[in-house]
Amino acid sequence: MSDPVRSSAGGTSVPPAGAVPALELRHITQHFGAFRALSDVSVRIDQGEIVGLLGENGCGKSTLVKVLAGVNHPDPGGELLVDGQPVDLPLAPGQFRDLGLSFVHQDLGLARTLTVTENLMVGQTGAASSRRPINWRAQRARTRALLRSYGVDVEPDAIINQLPPVGQALVAIVRAAEELKAYRERSEVARSILFLDEPTVFLPEGEVAFLFALVRRVVADGASVVFISHDLAAVRELCDRVVVLRDGQLAGGAAISDVDDQQLVDMIVGPASGKLVGLAHRRSSDVDIATLEPRVAVEGLRGGRAVDVTFSVRPTEVVGLAGLLGSGAEEVPYLLFGAHRSTAGTLTLDGERLRVPSLDPTSAVRHRIALVPADRRRDGVAPTLSVGENATILVNDSYTRLGRLQGGRLRGLVKRMVETFDVRPRNPDVLMGNLSGGNAQKVVLAKWLEIEPRLLLLHEPTQGVDVAARAEIYRLVREATARGTTTVWVSSDFEELATVCDRVLVVADGAVRAELVDGEITEEAISAAVYHWSTDAAAVLAGQPTP
Amino acid sequence: MSTTDVAPQATGQPDPDEKKLSSTHGGGGWGVWAERLALPVAWLALIVVFGVATPETFLTWANVSNVLSAQVVLLVLALAALMPSFVGDFDLSLGGIMGLTAMTAGVLNVQHGVGIWTACLIGVVVAVVAGALNGLFVVHFDTDPLIVTLGMGTVFTGAIFWLAGSNTIVGIDRALSTATFTTRLFGLSFEFWYALVLLLVVWYVSSFTPIGLRALFVGQSRDVARLSGIRVNRLRWGGFVLGGLVAGLAGVLFLGTTGSADPTATGGFLLPAYAAVFLGATSIKPGRFNAIGTGIAVFFLATGVNGLQLLGAQNYVQQLFYGAALVVAVVLSRQLRRRR
Repeated sequence: MSDPVRSSAGGTSVPPAGAVPALELRHITQHFGAFRALSDVSVRIDQGEIVGLLGENGCGKSTLVKVLAGVNHPDPGGELLVDGQPVDLPLAPGQFRDLGLSFVHQDLGLARTLTVTENLMVGQTGAASSRRPINWRAQRARTRALLRSYGVDVEPDAIINQLPPVGQALVAIVRAAEELKAYRERSEVARSILFLDEPTVFLPEGEVAFLFALVRRVVADGASVVFISHDLAAVRELCDRVVVLRDGQLAGGAAISDVDDQQLVDMIVGPASGKLVGLAHRRSSDVDIATLEPRVAVEGLRGGRAVDVTFSVRPTEVVGLAGLLGSGAEEVPYLLFGAHRSTAGTLTLDGERLRVPSLDPTSAVRHRIALVPADRRRDGVAPTLSVGENATILVNDSYTRLGRLQGGRLRGLVKRMVETFDVRPRNPDVLMGNLSGGNAQKVVLAKWLEIEPRLLLLHEPTQGVDVAARAEIYRLVREATARGTTTVWVSSDFEELATVCDRVLVVADGAVRAELVDGEITEEAISAAVYHWSTDAAAVLAGQPTP
Repeated sequence: MSTTDVAPQATGQPDPDEKKLSSTHGGGGWGVWAERLALPVAWLALIVVFGVATPETFLTWANVSNVLSAQVVLLVLALAALMPSFVGDFDLSLGGIMGLTAMTAGVLNVQHGVGIWTACLIGVVVAVVAGALNGLFVVHFDTDPLIVTLGMGTVFTGAIFWLAGSNTIVGIDRALSTATFTTRLFGLSFEFWYALVLLLVVWYVSSFTPIGLRALFVGQSRDVARLSGIRVNRLRWGGFVLGGLVAGLAGVLFLGTTGSADPTATGGFLLPAYAAVFLGATSIKPGRFNAIGTGIAVFFLATGVNGLQLLGAQNYVQQLFYGAALVVAVVLSRQLRRRR
């Protein structure tokens, strides 16, 4: 794991002339009814390269991948060549295995209640498909050796559920890599392709390096990798070349060293759009709030990894908490909301002193504290209920007459919400589960802002959210603060914190260690401060230069 | 997009076109309507088929009244099963609770000379306590409702036989039968109208009040509900306690309908009750447990069994029909959920 992160083979994206691509898709068009999800898309993947597949939600990335997975049946006329040999489309489900393709999706596809060893035993190469009785001790030794050979430090007996997210992702990738290796040996070919679909979304910034090291390892063993992501920093770090889709068409492609972030964003969002990432969402400097009395004060907060967290937030202020995984920063929103158990601490809200250990979500909501959790699919939205029901659950008590809900007024409210928050589609009767990540998050935000929170707690609010929706979320939070809301923004995306926060606090070893204000708030400065203060993390990432 | 219209307050202007919530959160289009109305249409189709097959018996008022009145106990027990279902729980002990109430009231009235109304009240209290016990084990100790209530149901059944001394208790005060089964209003027994009122209350509260919506959230996404400040545990307790209460009412109606307390008679009610609950969840509001759908499903099942029996089918057809209906309903609702 001591590979320097910057050792990627940048600039080698131009394959040797005449080399046969490992995989080539030509003129792929895909209709779903009258809707054209892909039109005339051609992509080639060369052997041993890492290709970033970029694009906003709904641009056709997943549709394209599902063509290869045999889920989608593209329109006639498209061609697929593997190693220069034509393969008939559409593919049958599961046929991708015989072509040397493997997919790791965001949900990883691991059996979460089983151990690492057991997970690695399932599959074509694992002992679970053999008929011989299982020698557990040998299996464990084999797993340990296997993980070590990939440079992955995970205990073979650990239950998947109990691993941190990065450990789970590493195990899933190792499993896929092993299948590809077995394929190469079996078919005596030198190529195979691993597809990683948004693997970094639920990983904290600091841990992504482990994943990158593993991916490079897999490439060195002889596979190509297609890396599907929203995360431009990750793509820049890892990929040799990018392919960008927009509205189902090929919007462009380039060697990563030939484009800067602005050009990438232009390709992803399109020329007509004025939505920029990196546009500052901080308050204009002429408003000075430094002299205002704090509206929210947290003192001596203790629980989980947080040992003694103390900070305050002034009216209309957005305070960022930056820290590596395990620093305690990621616990703060849940502790303050009463969702996780805390053992000590007080929260002063508009002069009212509350004991944090006696808070629970119900009393937190009553005190107008709002929490936008990181795990949107589990904690944020009820996928089987409609957008309208999700958006109004906190306030529908106030929309009653004689105990009966007033449907008309509720409907009017929901209509205003989806308009203001630009939720697409505009139909409030759509089930929440059918919305894209960005739109779902807008509904979550709309739901909480409707109670005019005094304290808004955000944990990784833009995970799995496309570029345009991300800018929209920044703007909506900023507008809410204008009405007096104080905001605590916890994120492992330091660029995001630099974009939105008025003040950034560095959390390490369970306490606030440093404060960055005004001109000090840049991605580099936050990152430098976080690594400087995170002694444990610095030890783990010994290969990284510590500023 | 000004900031002022982000948060219209609760005291905002009254909306002139105040409509039902079902239209607020319902869907649209023909497909949705076809899905919603599939069960009522299937019921009508059954009626037509049996009406054509056995016109001289099936479509007589005596038979219609028989179908509508005889299934009241099942309907009320299905409503009881709906209570934990709303909040995402199961209670397999409801049949036992119903029998326990009937037996408690019967034994008190016949063997101990307690007045019938007091006996019934005590029986219902026993049912509420039984429901609260389920809630204690499932919610407070955080265990699997299926297993716990399966065990509790067996405990209740044992208690029924112990109370009864394994005999059928006969000679229940006639006043109970008079107030429930034998007296008729518009040609249907009193208890039918009681059950109808109960159904409408359940429907109203679950569809048109904030607490109904909160229960829906708990049932569909428990973590989201908790992190939205909803008192999840309290609502789940409520589901078990209300389930017990309504099952107790079903027990009282059962006692009035049969005029005796047979320890073996209540065992067969649970399965058709759940068949109705799941079948009901495929219509009216597809994908969600709902009272109207459940009510229609009870009478759909009753009509099917009645028609088949009039056609000369043996008694076992009831088991075949109920069991098959439960399986079909669960498969259908699973398909509905997967499509969404």
